[in-house]
Amino acid sequence: MKRIPMNNPAEDLIQIVRQPIDPLVLMNHVRGPGDGAVASFDGCVRDNSAGRATLYLEYEGYEPMARVKMLEICAQIRERFAIHRVAIVHRLGRLEIGETSVFIAISAAHRGPAFEACRYAIDTLKRIVPIWKKEFFADGAVWADGEIPPATPAPKPESD
Amino acid sequence: MRVKVLFFGRLREIVGCAEESAEIAPGARIEDLFARFRERHPELAPFRPSLVASRNQEFAPWSEPLAAGDEIAFLPPVSGG
Repeated sequence: MKRIPMNNPAEDLIQIVRQPIDPLVLMNHVRGPGDGAVASFDGCVRDNSAGRATLYLEYEGYEPMARVKMLEICAQIRERFAIHRVAIVHRLGRLEIGETSVFIAISAAHRGPAFEACRYAIDTLKRIVPIWKKEFFADGAVWADGEIPPATPAPKPESD
Repeated sequence: MRVKVLFFGRLREIVGCAEESAEIAPGARIEDLFARFRERHPELAPFRPSLVASRNQEFAPWSEPLAAGDEIAFLPPVSGG
């Protein structure tokens, strides 16, 4: 019987898109016969910001660097948790209330690592991935308060 | 030497464009490059404490020296997700 590779980073799906995200496609992407769990996180557009009615959001990103950082998150969760496959997709552009801005799906043999990796992935994404959100209200627009990415890592020692 | 400079979010709105090319002296650091734009757009100054810099798509210290052809970005606090 053909062995299906379970922990292959080459199968990770990392995308930045401008069209609606289809969660089912991502959950099916990570799902395999060796999995006992697929955990997912659906980040969606809320109709208010601290009680102020939101009309819609616009996301912009530093796309090549955002992709690098999303791949780093994949590497980090593979190091920390016993997971199989990862899909992380973030959408940019104008998003209406209720639409999905980010979707993460992670498969694993057991639910614990799947849940934990999913939580770690979204928390880290919100800290280090260079994407910005502008909130549009009836009477104006503001860039959402963000998080300052952590201090730069210490310079790597010369390898030679 | 020339470097590419990228602006995002409120910085892009202040500067009025997403991308510029800048001519800088050899030995200049990221901080010097930011100072150049701050002179032209004083409204940038209050944002400096909340910004991080990147060099060639990796976070970089402000003291990092620049090299010809670098892609530098000044990144406001991130708010994806």
